[in-house]
Amino acid sequence: MKIISRLLPLMLTLVLVAALTGCDGFGALKPQERLRVATTTSLYDTGLWGYLEPMFEDEYGVELDVISAGTGIALEFGRRGDVDVITVHSKSRELEFVADGYGQERVPFAYNYFLIVGPADDPAGIAGLSPEEAFKKLAGGSGEFVSRGDDSGTHGKEKAIWETAGYDYETIRQAGQWYIEAARGMGPTLLMASEMQAYTLTDMGTFLSFQGDIDLVPIVDNGAILLNVYSVIVCSNGSNAEMAANLVVFLTSADIQELIGKYGVEEYGLALFTPSAGAEPES
Amino acid sequence: MDELWRGFTQGIGLLVSLDPEVMEVAGRSLLISLSATIIASLVAVPLAAVIHLNSFPGKRAIITVTQALFSVPTVVVGLFVFVLFSSAGPLGGLNLIFTPTLMVIGQALLIAPLILGLAISALSGVDRAYVDTARSLGAGGLQVAGVILREARFAVVAAVIMGFGRAVSEVGLAIMIGGNIKGFTRVITTAISLETSKGELELAIALGIILLIIALVINIGLSRVQQRA
Amino acid sequence: MLKLENIGHFYGNRQVLKNINLEVARGELFGLIGPTGAGKTTLLRIIDLLETPASGVMYFDGAKVAATGRGRLDIRRRMAFVLQKPVVFNASVYDNIAVGLRWRRQSRSRISQTVEPLLEVTGLKALKDKNARTLSGGEAQRVAIARAVAVSPELLLLDEPTANLDPVSTLRIEEMIADIYRRYRTTIIMTTHDLAQGRRLAGRIGVLVNGEMVQAGKAEAVFSMPHNRQVAEFVGTENIVPGVVASREGELAVVDLGGTLIEAVSDYGVGGEVYALIRPEEVMLAKQRGTSSARNWLVGVITGVDMAAMPARVNVDCGFPLVALVTRASLEEMGLKPGQPVYAGFKATGVHIIERPG
Repeated sequence: MKIISRLLPLMLTLVLVAALTGCDGFGALKPQERLRVATTTSLYDTGLWGYLEPMFEDEYGVELDVISAGTGIALEFGRRGDVDVITVHSKSRELEFVADGYGQERVPFAYNYFLIVGPADDPAGIAGLSPEEAFKKLAGGSGEFVSRGDDSGTHGKEKAIWETAGYDYETIRQAGQWYIEAARGMGPTLLMASEMQAYTLTDMGTFLSFQGDIDLVPIVDNGAILLNVYSVIVCSNGSNAEMAANLVVFLTSADIQELIGKYGVEEYGLALFTPSAGAEPES
Repeated sequence: MDELWRGFTQGIGLLVSLDPEVMEVAGRSLLISLSATIIASLVAVPLAAVIHLNSFPGKRAIITVTQALFSVPTVVVGLFVFVLFSSAGPLGGLNLIFTPTLMVIGQALLIAPLILGLAISALSGVDRAYVDTARSLGAGGLQVAGVILREARFAVVAAVIMGFGRAVSEVGLAIMIGGNIKGFTRVITTAISLETSKGELELAIALGIILLIIALVINIGLSRVQQRA
Repeated sequence: MLKLENIGHFYGNRQVLKNINLEVARGELFGLIGPTGAGKTTLLRIIDLLETPASGVMYFDGAKVAATGRGRLDIRRRMAFVLQKPVVFNASVYDNIAVGLRWRRQSRSRISQTVEPLLEVTGLKALKDKNARTLSGGEAQRVAIARAVAVSPELLLLDEPTANLDPVSTLRIEEMIADIYRRYRTTIIMTTHDLAQGRRLAGRIGVLVNGEMVQAGKAEAVFSMPHNRQVAEFVGTENIVPGVVASREGELAVVDLGGTLIEAVSDYGVGGEVYALIRPEEVMLAKQRGTSSARNWLVGVITGVDMAAMPARVNVDCGFPLVALVTRASLEEMGLKPGQPVYAGFKATGVHIIERPG
């Protein structure tokens, strides 16, 4: 009994000290300036953010927290003010975001193209078609299609293609067994499509970085609608607007634009992104 | 199979070479989950003693609700904490979203009911005569609580270990309120989730092995403790 | 020291204590006897303030005890209670005995000054550093009593201190209680279902039956003059014979026990329905009628002899069944056997008359 009455206060003190110093160890209590970016997964999973992050941190002396999420979630984080900047790829929703007063200005900084990928033997026979025509053929049930189904930018692009092709997206969702919703990021969706030998819509960057792990090839890669523009937007509800503006300057600076244009060349033999220097690219 | 084997050997390699990234993520996982466990225990264990030692209307209901919360999905707690602490939420002013501190808070909230419920049943296992004996010898409220906690200490420690196990192995909450920020809020489970989705299995496997080792150590500790209880 | 007024208590809907009135003076050793389930333990728990009675008032050392509040702990700290089932804490014998003093924030040296002599008195010195969990039942009970005595209680409550113990341990605990009582002059209330133990140790005794204190008084008085049939049965009175007061002359009454007339000292009026309690050890057996006029002499036939009992028990049918206790020597001398006629004699003062409720 003496042990409990003597040691209990001591133990509590130790535990508290441990908890407090533990918190300190996280760096959360240090007055380190932080900037939060929510990004679409494709910019993260391709490693572009991992490549740029230390450069920005060194240049501006700030801790950059990059949170990888789908475009939909990134926009929501931005609306709530949980992040200071977003890097996303869904033009119409970005414009809406800015129009609603959540974002200051939409600044495109890079682009590439979406691809419809599928099994090498192309069972649906959609090779050479336009994206809209290819989707029409898939809707006829000639092959399986895996959708991101996660409200991401890629998912938004897929919906846009369905609608341009003359379909109501909700009808397509219910259309049958051939239409599969992954509700995951681009990487897992590609792996899933590969396992099922199905078609899917992907951004070029993620496809290239996964190429070695999957058994899918580009089937349709031509069409104005496949243009994929990445923009950076400073969030009005963020807490560090000044540093957020620095990030926009950084991403559109000539040096960084050049690095973005070269990113991936060494590893994949071709560039994952084309720099757009703050302007809307012409397709 | 080939891929798994390659991932496995490379994963082991990362472990043996004490790869800084692996060690950093593992260390952060332990730090965050240990802190959460300590905080949750500091609240839940004394509360268990208070609930156990007093009779009041609604006591049964509290215990039932607590037990129901044992298996609450981590994403539900994550959502709750996110809505609460998001900048637009009522506690947004604290600016804790996407920080390790909030992960500690979230995990503590997640496991507090588990520790509370298990600690209450641990204390219920102590013969009522201990409480009576202590009171009859002049023990005050805190002293009585001290007596039963001491008598049930192994079972209480087991409850705390179970709580830690749940905290360190959960992923939904960590990713929702931590954001999986490299070098800041990335822990074992969120790193495994990310690396797997990127198709980089070596790191995921190395971290998976660490998590398995932690689980193994927890279980060995738990069975030791339970043998003595 | 302690005064209870109209204490009543319920467990659920079951009334476990009814209208308990009791006064225990400082320095008294009060025995509480009664069958299992009579409410003895509940009464001790209420006295120790472990439970609050549903009704009634308790005074401790002249002051009324409040039903709630911090004051209860202060009063509880002037008492100590040894539960029937001894629980020892998972710690050394020394630490177990010292625990109450630690809770009272006494200094290490004062604790040692109290505990060390107690270890001697209770014969636990050799076990001082042993974990109390490893002790035998008797040893654990000694630790429990020592632990209670250590806090120098003004009132010590012992609940069945020798229940479930072997005869040797029982003797040892009884000696210890007597020794502690002599040495510290602590006021003690102890419960027991062992009548002989109550009689040996206690100065005054209370009999609790079905939650009611049916009789309280000097130990001898309770045993020789139970107030009613329940007490009589509980204290082991064997000859309980129904009858009617037939006539009386001064304090001497003639009672008709179903045709057999006996004389007894009683103040019940003629026609009163009564029980005659005839204590077996007061009954003499003889081959011829005795001469003393103060004795009732009844003629009867021996129906059974139990030689195994000490002293031997002889059952006689003298119009009603009567048990007599006879030493083995006189039994052999008289050669009493079943079927033989015999005279049974007892004094008028050896009969205790109690009321027989219609």
